[in-house]
Amino acid sequence: MDPQSVENLNQMLDHDSDIREKIKEQVNDFEKKTRVIIAILSKIHSTRSESIPSLVDSAQPALHSCRETIAVIASLVPPNQFWRWKDMYCNSLRTAVFAAALSEYLTQGTLISLQSTSDMLGMQEEWKDRVTLAAEDYLHGLITLVNELSRLAVNAVILGDFEQPLKISAFVKELFSGFSMLNLKNDTLRRRFDSLKYDMKKIEEVVYDVSLRKLVSKDPAPKLNVN
Amino acid sequence: MVDSLLAALLLHAPAKKTIFLLHRLAMEAQGASARAKASKAGMEKLGQVQKMYADIRHELVDDQFWRYQQQVSPGLQEYIEALSFAHFLEHGGLITFEEVQRTLCGEDGVPYFPLTISDYLLGVSDLTGELMRFAISGFSHPGGSKEALDTCIFVRNCKADFDMFTPHVRYLHKKQAVTAQSLAKIEDAVYTAVVRTSEFDLPPEMLDALVNQVVSSYSGGSGRENDDEDHPSEFYP
Repeated sequence: MDPQSVENLNQMLDHDSDIREKIKEQVNDFEKKTRVIIAILSKIHSTRSESIPSLVDSAQPALHSCRETIAVIASLVPPNQFWRWKDMYCNSLRTAVFAAALSEYLTQGTLISLQSTSDMLGMQEEWKDRVTLAAEDYLHGLITLVNELSRLAVNAVILGDFEQPLKISAFVKELFSGFSMLNLKNDTLRRRFDSLKYDMKKIEEVVYDVSLRKLVSKDPAPKLNVN
Repeated sequence: MVDSLLAALLLHAPAKKTIFLLHRLAMEAQGASARAKASKAGMEKLGQVQKMYADIRHELVDDQFWRYQQQVSPGLQEYIEALSFAHFLEHGGLITFEEVQRTLCGEDGVPYFPLTISDYLLGVSDLTGELMRFAISGFSHPGGSKEALDTCIFVRNCKADFDMFTPHVRYLHKKQAVTAQSLAKIEDAVYTAVVRTSEFDLPPEMLDALVNQVVSSYSGGSGRENDDEDHPSEFYP
């Protein structure tokens, strides 16, 4: 190798590690923020349903503050290099998706869409080649949501809220049927999708327990028409 | 030097035994005053461990502590686990970092060695596993389900709080996974109790009396109290 090319290669490597370090710094920040959000949201398990909306509200400032971090990451990533750097922050991003989806479910009772999650996290169309919310990360966040909801079903019953498990059951079933229509490749997402059935089983058991003991006022299951 | 390392390794055993002692006493005991008594007995036993730390303090002065930190750490964490369990039984809360350090000071108030935040956090993380056993085996006692619910909330808060520290403390991540499992086990147990209780339209005191009646008629001749204290499996239902 002639000295000039050694020099050139060195410069390129330095440039890359420079970017890596700068992104790493932001990712640490991002991770810290998501931990704060998760700490707040983990209180849903010991909060009565009437106080849940205010609890969810209190987590929103932290969730919105993720936008700034994501924007900085987007400014650091060179054009057309989304896939090259995404592994560095995708864990935090998935956690943020989970937080957004959980907030949406707890306040509206609905499933947050990919587009509104993306908007909530402040993703801009013009960054598409640098930072974007990939469908895969969005789906990972939703699976985490189901994991959490299966615990919430149990804990809601402990707090005497017998309606919540039924709502969760209906919501998760619908989500699951949506997932089953996807053609997933054999990766972590597919494996995590497989784990959903255990969460569903758990939720089903809770629904069974509360329905059998007539703890819910109205019959959740449509009555079979026996002739 | 070998002496001190050996001593540090030996420290593991009395701390572990204290934990079993606490479990046993807490199970035999009922009510807050009895729990305080169990805690006191545990603290007394831990006095032995503190004395052993006092004995090896000269081996751990200044930077020598950091030199042998890897060897001292496991025993120290076990000690903190036992100490925090005793503390929990009496006060129902988490022992603070300063309180732990204070138990490892000479009479002159000089610490034997600096307690690291990592040892403190990893030690109290292990407490959640003990609390899982404590909550689940407590169900057969009067007031057990209320106690389990309190424990459940306590463990849940521990998990949420420790989550913030995971990027800074090595191995805490793994402990958090174990804590999550313990928490889920306590939640499931409390849930089962709530669901089954709902089948009886009775006040909690009467249910307690019902459970107590059955349990006491069985525990009379079992002689469990003489069982070896080194069988952790005994605590699982």
